[in-house]
Amino acid sequence: MYTIELNNVRKTYDQFVAVDNLSFNIEKGAVFGLLGPNGAGKTSTIRMMIGITAPDTGEIRMFGEPFHRKHLNNVGYLPEERGLYKKMKILDHLVFLAELHGMAAASARQKAVEWCQRLEISDKLQNKVEELSKGMQQKIQFIASLLHDPDFVIMDEPFYGLDPVNSALLKNVLLDLKKQGKTILFSTHRMDQVEQLCDSICLIDHGKPVLQGNLKQIKSRYGKGNIQIGYDGDSTFLEHNKLVQSFNNYGSYVEVRLAVGADSQQLLQLVAERSRISRFELMEPSLEEIFIEVVGKANA
Amino acid sequence: MRNVWLIARREYLERVRTRSFIVMTILLPALMLGVTVVPTLLMNKMSSETKHLMVVAPESSTAELIRQQLLKLPEEQKKQAAETEGMQRRNPRQAANLVVDIGTDTSDAARTALTDKVRQKELDGVIFATKDGLATKKITFITRDISSIVGNEEIRGSINQALRRELLKNKGFTDPEIENAMQPVQLEAQNPSGRGNPLGVFFTVFSMVMILYVTVLLYGINVMRAILEEKTSRIMEVMLSIAQAKEMMAGKILGVGAVGLTQIGIWVAVALLASSPGLIAGADMLKGILSVKLLAYFAVFFLLGYTLYSTLCAAVGSMVNSEQEAQQLQFVVMMPMIISVIIAVNIIQSPGSTAAVWGSLFPLTAPLIMFLRIALESPPTWQIGLSIGLMIATTYGLILLCARIYRVGILMYGKKPTLPQIMKWVRYT
Repeated sequence: MYTIELNNVRKTYDQFVAVDNLSFNIEKGAVFGLLGPNGAGKTSTIRMMIGITAPDTGEIRMFGEPFHRKHLNNVGYLPEERGLYKKMKILDHLVFLAELHGMAAASARQKAVEWCQRLEISDKLQNKVEELSKGMQQKIQFIASLLHDPDFVIMDEPFYGLDPVNSALLKNVLLDLKKQGKTILFSTHRMDQVEQLCDSICLIDHGKPVLQGNLKQIKSRYGKGNIQIGYDGDSTFLEHNKLVQSFNNYGSYVEVRLAVGADSQQLLQLVAERSRISRFELMEPSLEEIFIEVVGKANA
Repeated sequence: MRNVWLIARREYLERVRTRSFIVMTILLPALMLGVTVVPTLLMNKMSSETKHLMVVAPESSTAELIRQQLLKLPEEQKKQAAETEGMQRRNPRQAANLVVDIGTDTSDAARTALTDKVRQKELDGVIFATKDGLATKKITFITRDISSIVGNEEIRGSINQALRRELLKNKGFTDPEIENAMQPVQLEAQNPSGRGNPLGVFFTVFSMVMILYVTVLLYGINVMRAILEEKTSRIMEVMLSIAQAKEMMAGKILGVGAVGLTQIGIWVAVALLASSPGLIAGADMLKGILSVKLLAYFAVFFLLGYTLYSTLCAAVGSMVNSEQEAQQLQFVVMMPMIISVIIAVNIIQSPGSTAAVWGSLFPLTAPLIMFLRIALESPPTWQIGLSIGLMIATTYGLILLCARIYRVGILMYGKKPTLPQIMKWVRYT
């Protein structure tokens, strides 16, 4: 069963096409990455999924039924633009949002306390939102999206601006949700997190899907033609080299995509002549590389 | 509906708990009480002291007559206060106690001695009437405090009365005849519905209209601010994933409106308490003007006016991105209210004029002008009904229109929208 299905969804604002014939399904219990460069139409897509706006054409189905607002009580949403009522006390705020999601006040209160303990901010329950740091506010909002125990969770850049300790805390929560069989939609630019968490992805650009499917399959489709090289020295010799189809310089290492039919050993030799090699590894392409390649090609 | 209720409740509780609400609620009545009660108390304190006066005239009978007239003063004050329905600030029950002595030595030496006594505070005042003075109607009143004690005006009145009585008596009139001749007429001003004195009506009605104006304006702008704050703090996005835009708008307007009603309720309670007889001097003034019916109308027109204007304000709040942008539009939206107050001054003088009738029917000025007319005269029932009906219909139309602007506006950041853009928003599905 699919938690959410988008069939040929299109949304335009005046002349601007925000989402163009987008279709994808997310299976129940899957962690799905909705990826794309800035302005690709990710937020527009999410807004349609949760009924803030309606698609011009196409259909959205949720939990196997045509979209209806009653489904929203079973959806948790952490928007990219964070916002809470500044003057409200944390506990009151959490209870208020949970009540809007259909929870009873008493159980919402109890759950809120439990969640705050789990995310290590239970000492702030009686503080006002404005007294909290940005990172703490983000944790509060994270809790708010999960308090009513939704089956479908939409997280837009959930780790943005968090330190590594808190990122790990939140990541564990998400992994836990996955274990419980919740469906998670994850929208981000951070490809490393997508690789750690997602089962499948949809990469959109200019409102159109450019790459979608199971993450493992996508990566294997791009094959092992990738080489990461850690070395000291200059990388300019890789430009206009007939062995190299493309490469990305990440500072401490470069990731090279070999030209079709090129031999990796030749490249090793070439590099060894010019610099000291600390690492030379054949590997699957990183999602980031795929992202850059696909989006770059689409824009070319 | 549950969402509307939850949103309204949050708005209400958060606002009622703020310091500014508590301060505003307490401060305004406190200020009003301060203006009315404190002077009364001060007056009471002053006038409850005993004043020692001395009357000097060539004939002891003349002096005695003046003395008797002066001793009637506290009594007369009481009567007068009752007649003017409390316009007199002085509390009648505690008018000045007077002790009056008489003397017949009108020599300059006696005058100097008595002046010294006044200076040394052995006496509070000396009424000095020489024979020449009585003939030319020029009498001296020696007192340390020229402006007060019993009031120069009252003393002059007493002397006048005493001298006229003496004259009439000398002409051979009997006491009842004199009494009858001296009785002043009473002028009783009434409006057609037979209510109170005109000055009282003017002040009471005008202050009610001002309170109506201020509260509608204040709470309308509060709605706008709240929406702007939600927009800039970006909580909108979270809220919209749970509640519909129209639920949010309705909840906001209801919640803020309930805060306004609470505040007005507290003020009305204080006003009723304060106007219970005897508590303050102004009580008698309010009596006969401030009826339960009028207070009910006040609440009705507050609600109608508030809903109308807060709906407009909600649309404005959703359109703009900052307080500065909001202020320009806010002024345009509130313009009819400001005009209402300006013409209200004229309408108080002629509540039945054509301008007043049209003003009380036009929905944007009706909240103030119709209330004003109801307070001053009794406009035909059909006009009241039509006015309220038009306001409700306009508000309903505006809610539909503004909800559409609101729905799009709250998600639009950046440039202030132009009028054609707003028209486009209205047509979005």
